[in-house]
Amino acid sequence: MTSRLVPMNVVLGLAPIALVIAVWQGLVSSGLAPASLLPPPGIVFGRLLQQLVTWTYQQEIASTLFRLFAGFAIAVVLGVGIGIAAAANPAINAVVRPIVRVLAPLPKVALYPALLLLLGFGHGSKITLVAADALFPILLSTYYGASSVEQKLIWSAMAAGTPRYEILFKVVLPAAMPSILTGCRIGLVISCIVVFLAEMITSTDGLGHVLVTAARTFQAVDMFVPLITISLLGLILNGLLGVLRSYLLRGFPEA
Amino acid sequence: MSDISLTIEEGAFVSILGPSGCGKSTLLYIVGGFVSPTSGAAKMKGKTISGPGPDRGPVFQEFALFPWKTVLGNVMYGPRQQGVQAAEAEGQSRALIEMVGLKGYENFYPKELSGGMKQRVALARTLAYHPEVLLMDEPFGALDAHTRTRLQNDLLNIWERDRKTVLFVTHSVDEAVFLSDKVVMMSKSPGRIRQVINIDLPRPRRRNELLLDPRYQKYVVDIERMFDEVDETGSPL
Repeated sequence: MTSRLVPMNVVLGLAPIALVIAVWQGLVSSGLAPASLLPPPGIVFGRLLQQLVTWTYQQEIASTLFRLFAGFAIAVVLGVGIGIAAAANPAINAVVRPIVRVLAPLPKVALYPALLLLLGFGHGSKITLVAADALFPILLSTYYGASSVEQKLIWSAMAAGTPRYEILFKVVLPAAMPSILTGCRIGLVISCIVVFLAEMITSTDGLGHVLVTAARTFQAVDMFVPLITISLLGLILNGLLGVLRSYLLRGFPEA
Repeated sequence: MSDISLTIEEGAFVSILGPSGCGKSTLLYIVGGFVSPTSGAAKMKGKTISGPGPDRGPVFQEFALFPWKTVLGNVMYGPRQQGVQAAEAEGQSRALIEMVGLKGYENFYPKELSGGMKQRVALARTLAYHPEVLLMDEPFGALDAHTRTRLQNDLLNIWERDRKTVLFVTHSVDEAVFLSDKVVMMSKSPGRIRQVINIDLPRPRRRNELLLDPRYQKYVVDIERMFDEVDETGSPL
């Protein structure tokens, strides 16, 4: 039953992707879009494979991935830490809540010029921007998860002799794990978008920079290659996070 | 709640019975140290209760098992917190899991178990740290009638072995009579103790014998009538 359902879902999931590529090919073939501006998918994927084996392109990917991971990791550490602390302590919550309310809706990319001036054109400014953008969904979902932990789980642990400060790590953190990982999933997608965006605005390397450079020199094919690369990276990272999630949540009913 | 005064002897099985909203669970939580009384105090062996502790083990209607731990992990939690070495804690826990009838399920997660099995795990998890008093908050309330009866029998068998003090909150009259030495009848608004009834029935109790025993039947009928009275005086239906 399931063995037939799973490929069915995969087929259904691939259908819209195939449709997008078909429309793309259709636009070029019908002459609606000139091939010099919108290169056909076959040529773009061909160039992608060509590029993936070159050292220079691999280095661009490495820079982007490094910034993405560093920013995302900082966001996870800060988001989970602050979220748990705010849920556990009313005083911390009182301090954190207004700041979060003010900063969460702010478009963090507006801080990028300031970050460039402060931290320079290298990794620092981009990592900070990624962290700032990915932080809030992780923080908010951690806070929500940690504040809705079933009271009787905490009581059960306390009766078994767990001191109050250990409850945070032994009960609240594992019980909030489903929400935390949902926040991480959103944070990861945001990280992919923001690292690319930052590299497009001002950078000397990375996939976003490759795209902008190609666009400025009307290299249409090279413009689409980094775009496809970042989507594939996002797909792979999301898949890896999904594997981690089903491992960590193996005991939870909703996973 | 007001004017609650109740003394429980060591080794007694005491049920607290009353309509919903009479504060019977709150009374249990105060003894557990999970909530503090607004006035007055709860004492255990002469010492005022100031917080939860491993001398008083709760079993909740909602089971409250740790979903991220296996059956064995849940049962081992208490002993490990008490500083028992891993190997020893595992041995004790496996024995307890067998005692509650779940041998073979050690590596299952709670989500893979039925309600009755979950409550058996929760009981084993609490027994694992050797509490002097068991605080049971409508432990069988979420179970179907058949499972409920089986768990009542098993609980009695376990209890008759080591005679821990049990404080058992329920709203089922025959459950209270079947299990207890003493039934505390509460009324609501405000929550007060209406009457304490000693259940003078021989032990070990066997369900099939007890149900035919006229003394058992009289206790059930009398307490049910009293239950109707306190529920009516409490609030309009």
